Amino acid sequence: MIEITLEVNGETRRLSVESRRLLADVLRQEFNLSGVHIGCAHGACGCCTVHLDGKPRLSCLTFAAQCDGKSVRTVESVGGVGADHPLQKAFRSEHGLQCGYCTPGFIMTLIPFVEEMTAERRMPDEEEIREAMSGNICRCTGYQGIVEAVRKVIGENLEEGAQA
Amino acid sequence: MTQQMDRPKHIGARIQRFEDTRLLAGTARYIDDIRLPNMLHLRFVRAQMAHAKVLEIDTEALEDIGFPTQVFTGADIGDLSIKAHQDYPEMQYSEQPLLARERVRFVGEAVAAVLADDAYQAEDAAEMVFVDYEPLQVVTTMDQARDPEVPGLFDGWRTNIFVERQMKGGDIAQAKAEAAHVIKRTYTTQRQAGVPMEGRGVAAEYDPASRMLTVWSSTQIPHLVRTYIAEELGLPESRLRVVAPDVGGGFGVKGQVFPEEVLVPWLAMKTGRPVKWVEDRREHLTSSIHARDHSHTLEAYVSEDGRLLGLKADISVDVGAYSTFPFTAAGDPGMAAKVMPGPYDFQHYEATFRALATNKCPIGTYRGVGRPSAVFAQERLMDDIANELGLDPIEFRLKNVVRDFPYTNALGFTYDPGSYAETLEKMRDLLAEDRAAAEASSNDPDKRIGVGLACFVEQTAHGTPDFTRRRVPIETGYIAARVEMTPDGQALVDIGLQNHGQGHETVMAQVAADALGIDPKDVHVRHGDTLTTPYSVGTWGSRGGALGGGAVHVAAGRIADKLKAIAGHLLQSDPQKIVLQNGIAHPEGQPDRHVAVAKLARTALRNVDQLPAGMEPGLEAQYSLDGPNDGTYSNAVHAAVVEIDTKTGKMQLKRFVVVEDCGTILNPLIVDGQVRGGVVQGIGSAMLEHFIYDEDGQPLTVTFADYLMPLATEIPEIELHHIETPTPLTPLGAKGLGEGGAIGPAAAIANAVADALGIEVTKTPLNANALWHLARQAEKNRAE
Amino acid sequence: MRPSEFEYHKADSLEQALALLQEFGDEGRPIAGGQSLVPMMNLRLARPAHLVDINGLGLDTIEKKDGVIRIGALVRHERYLAEPLIIDNFPAFIDGVRAIGHPTIRRNGTIGGSLAHADPTAELPLLCMLHDGEIIAASAGGERRLPATRFFEGAYMTVLEAGEMIVAVELPVPPASSSGAFVEMAERRGDFAIAACGVTLEHARGRVTRAAVACSGAGQTAMRAPQLEEALEGLELAHPDAAAAIAAFTETLNPPDDHSASADYRRALVGQLTEQALATACSRAMEAS
Ligand SMILES: Cc1cc2nc3c(=O)[nH]c(=O)nc-3n(C[C@H](O)[C@H](O)[C@H](O)COP(=O)(O)OP(=O)(O)OC[C@H]3O[C@@H](n4cnc5c(N)ncnc54)[C@H](O)[C@@H]3O)c2cc1C
Ligand code: FES
Ligand code: FES
Repeated sequence: MIEITLEVNGETRRLSVESRRLLADVLRQEFNLSGVHIGCAHGACGCCTVHLDGKPRLSCLTFAAQCDGKSVRTVESVGGVGADHPLQKAFRSEHGLQCGYCTPGFIMTLIPFVEEMTAERRMPDEEEIREAMSGNICRCTGYQGIVEAVRKVIGENLEEGAQA
Repeated sequence: MTQQMDRPKHIGARIQRFEDTRLLAGTARYIDDIRLPNMLHLRFVRAQMAHAKVLEIDTEALEDIGFPTQVFTGADIGDLSIKAHQDYPEMQYSEQPLLARERVRFVGEAVAAVLADDAYQAEDAAEMVFVDYEPLQVVTTMDQARDPEVPGLFDGWRTNIFVERQMKGGDIAQAKAEAAHVIKRTYTTQRQAGVPMEGRGVAAEYDPASRMLTVWSSTQIPHLVRTYIAEELGLPESRLRVVAPDVGGGFGVKGQVFPEEVLVPWLAMKTGRPVKWVEDRREHLTSSIHARDHSHTLEAYVSEDGRLLGLKADISVDVGAYSTFPFTAAGDPGMAAKVMPGPYDFQHYEATFRALATNKCPIGTYRGVGRPSAVFAQERLMDDIANELGLDPIEFRLKNVVRDFPYTNALGFTYDPGSYAETLEKMRDLLAEDRAAAEASSNDPDKRIGVGLACFVEQTAHGTPDFTRRRVPIETGYIAARVEMTPDGQALVDIGLQNHGQGHETVMAQVAADALGIDPKDVHVRHGDTLTTPYSVGTWGSRGGALGGGAVHVAAGRIADKLKAIAGHLLQSDPQKIVLQNGIAHPEGQPDRHVAVAKLARTALRNVDQLPAGMEPGLEAQYSLDGPNDGTYSNAVHAAVVEIDTKTGKMQLKRFVVVEDCGTILNPLIVDGQVRGGVVQGIGSAMLEHFIYDEDGQPLTVTFADYLMPLATEIPEIELHHIETPTPLTPLGAKGLGEGGAIGPAAAIANAVADALGIEVTKTPLNANALWHLARQAEKNRAE
Repeated sequence: MRPSEFEYHKADSLEQALALLQEFGDEGRPIAGGQSLVPMMNLRLARPAHLVDINGLGLDTIEKKDGVIRIGALVRHERYLAEPLIIDNFPAFIDGVRAIGHPTIRRNGTIGGSLAHADPTAELPLLCMLHDGEIIAASAGGERRLPATRFFEGAYMTVLEAGEMIVAVELPVPPASSSGAFVEMAERRGDFAIAACGVTLEHARGRVTRAAVACSGAGQTAMRAPQLEEALEGLELAHPDAAAAIAAFTETLNPPDDHSASADYRRALVGQLTEQALATACSRAMEAS
């Protein structure tokens, strides 16, 4: 067992974990963050994506023991129980989800992309948007609603920036 | 102040989904989120050989593993099994034991169940169980399965054919005699897997005090699971509750009753502790169900002037090692045989169809069920005929599609009104430029552009007689809904569907809201729990909108009638003339004389002294809606434009267009999502997805590194066009739409490839390797 | 699909990491990005008893000195795309990196991990071979410099010994008048390639003076094509027609034949990708001069 300190969604906790426990399982079981989904447990679907020190990371390919002293963000911290982050709202209006199993992974993968594009003040083309989500599999939507959601929220951000 | 009060029409509105919030927030509850005190975790020991005698199961190593474990094998469970038999004399009897007894029949079959306090430990322990096998002759191909010399997979079997039967109508000999052209081809589609992003999972808890057994399962069919468990375990069904929590995709895969769903509750009762099993991805790919492993030989009889006179079909499906419940081993071949006449007008048809047993994972239902393969064969054949006769493929289809409705086909199925010719004509316009570009590209030997389409009908929401005919162990397909109002004027809709992406929580609210004159936000839709919902068959077969929506409409309508009666009484007005809208009831044309729906509800439930004399208190209605006898027929045309680099085999899907007709559209946002999602699965079928076994029956594509599904980067925008031909056969005019998207793409893409390369395409998947070989073959053909 | 038991060790210095690796021998393994190792562990295809986490060691710089560009073992794939030393000197390398997996994989995977993992069609092993890279491996006993061309022994097999780890890769800086390109064919974008080819060229007065060709998909590891390289010398940049030489090269290949691609398809593909990479490298050379 290994003692680690994790800061998860703003809450810091010390806990003791077996070396082999995946970050995904520790988040789900010790922190009750059931928004972390496991779709493949071998790095190929993106369902389990969280932010580790601010960057997307597959929590099924990460041992909790490796995260001592690091900060983790999961979908639960993004827009609260109302899911009112602009990207979440755009997923709703553009029908970017059906069963919802892949959704937290897409949200966590795409938020940094949206922020990057907003910071660069440019609208990515279709290919770039699709490339940004290419590590995530959605079996329900056919991706189009997700692409549209990303375009919509970047468009809104750019417009807001232009007015400001 | 006069107010313009339009009747708010929620049906047909593009309303955002109510279920989205919890799914987006990460607060949805899927099967692996069920955690019960003192729960045991189950891990299976699964067969590593495709066909073998089980000589010994050695669990000795568990004795000093250092943590408590329990192991159960076939010897412990007696004859508990999945029995999925069709009551035809031609069908050979088989059962799938919950845990293998004496013999394993496919790699991945459950041999032993290992329980531990922790999932990681259960996996450690399962690895320490050693199974000694004696290999038996393995059957992996259709030819081997049809070889009478090969021993049967089950004791007492004569051959490895589960069942072989015929369907016919008209006089095929006459069609043949009259034909100027006879065109015969064989088309095959590869074995695939449905792969919802959440795998299967089951948890169960038994409470001896109340004698109540609760089972959570990631299933599309909670009531069917409940009945099966009750019957197999001999339990009173009234004390059994099956809950499908949030379900992370199903696509038909979770529409069977699986051995694990019976075993887990049995283990919970046996051990006296809650038990949970969550499938891992490798297990899902090897041990749930597969789909689409078909070979069809078609012979078409065509007149001099290009009219289809008749069709003869020979359909084989490699259904794997076991018959699945409830649609059985004959489900896929029977469906293919039934739908093969498609949208075309001819009266002579004969099909022989068979289900072949092999040492592979069983075939079950996956979006489209038999139809993607049938439409692939039928629509490839239409192009091959057009080609041979020198006709334009669209004109050839237009010449042959059904135009007068209702139409009764060769098998006696009656099609309700559709738009077969209109969708084709619309598609012809949409493709004009692409077809010209494809023509022009034929000069470039390296980059070839092709356009292909597929035209099909989809029988949906079929009624009880269709099940009776098939003699499957599911006798009907009705959906029930119970609508109840609460004293605050809100509504509860409890529906026997299970929502795993289809948007039922929104669509059913729209339907109920329109009937009750309230806002959809004030309707709470519950589903997926046998405790709260009326008995129904669950979500499959594209029946949610058409039948579920219809049932809600009728049940809510009955409550609306009662509300109107109360309003008429309170307002001293004719109940017949009362309108319910925007949360109030008023006589038609007199919105100022109104009473709130909430007040009416309170009157019915609390202030019953104010009810009309003799009226029963309460506000609740339930309705079970069976489908029309022959179902209602949705139709669509799919088209693909592809560009193939003949030197590398790289194919780019440049355009994918759908013109579809699913009758009344209940919510365009959701309809578009269902169609697009299905299309992308169909694109996977056409180009990528292939579940492969080697000649020893060992599966080769057991992770997502080998079983390839479409990623966002492989998919173009899916262009949709709708034509609405409401059906007179369902209360709202809606036809089924859930599966159609997945039915057309393989055929459309294969036709586009055939067009691009100038070669007949006879099988899928059209991956890079296949395309390169096809391009070589085309080059060779041209040289000769 | 969860890993079997192991003991986790976080190394704070290279010395400590090497000492731990020496202590554990065959039982120990370094973990870098985890993007290849952890999938194998979850599938229980790999069961190291000890993992030595090397993520805290630094080893993540890209520097130029003495005519070589030194890439630390822990440099993540996405870094190259914003790194002038790589963009300016190794166009083929940039093409190749773009084809690795997906954004989250590129953000976390490392070059040391990719080389040590030695997938037969991974991009970085091919690119290191193409650019005459040297792999620097350290152990408690000292350092070894291993030419990339002699580093890979087969699919998922390298010459690294127990207790040894990669600390850096050095690529000689190409002369100013050079060019290159990399092309691959994968079933889907981001998948491991069916086949791939990289070409680099040095040129003068419109002609190739030196060429390097490396390809994958033709065997258990990526490989260089020395005879073809020789044959390309003197090729006119404006007319990069080397079909005959390429055909002579592909004829010697004996690629694997399996369910995802037949041997003759792979052979033809290597030839085709080589033609494409060569054409792009030539046109880039012409644009630059
Ligand atoms: C879905 C998916 C798609 C991918 N697609 C591609 C692709 O298209 N192309 C591609 O090239 N890769 C691909 N990868 C793999 C990815 O590039 C990996 O990051 C890389 O192969 C390994 O790097 P790592 O740092 O993650 O290594 P790890 O997973 O940490 O380690 C891999 C192996 O290398 C050893 N190791 C790690 N560091 C060192 C070191 N410094 N010295 C000695 N041994 C070491 C480990 O012990 C282990 O055996 C993909 C991965 C995934 C999950
Ligand atoms: S669960 Fe982590 S990538 Fe699939
Ligand atoms: S919404 Fe179901 S997998 Fe994406």
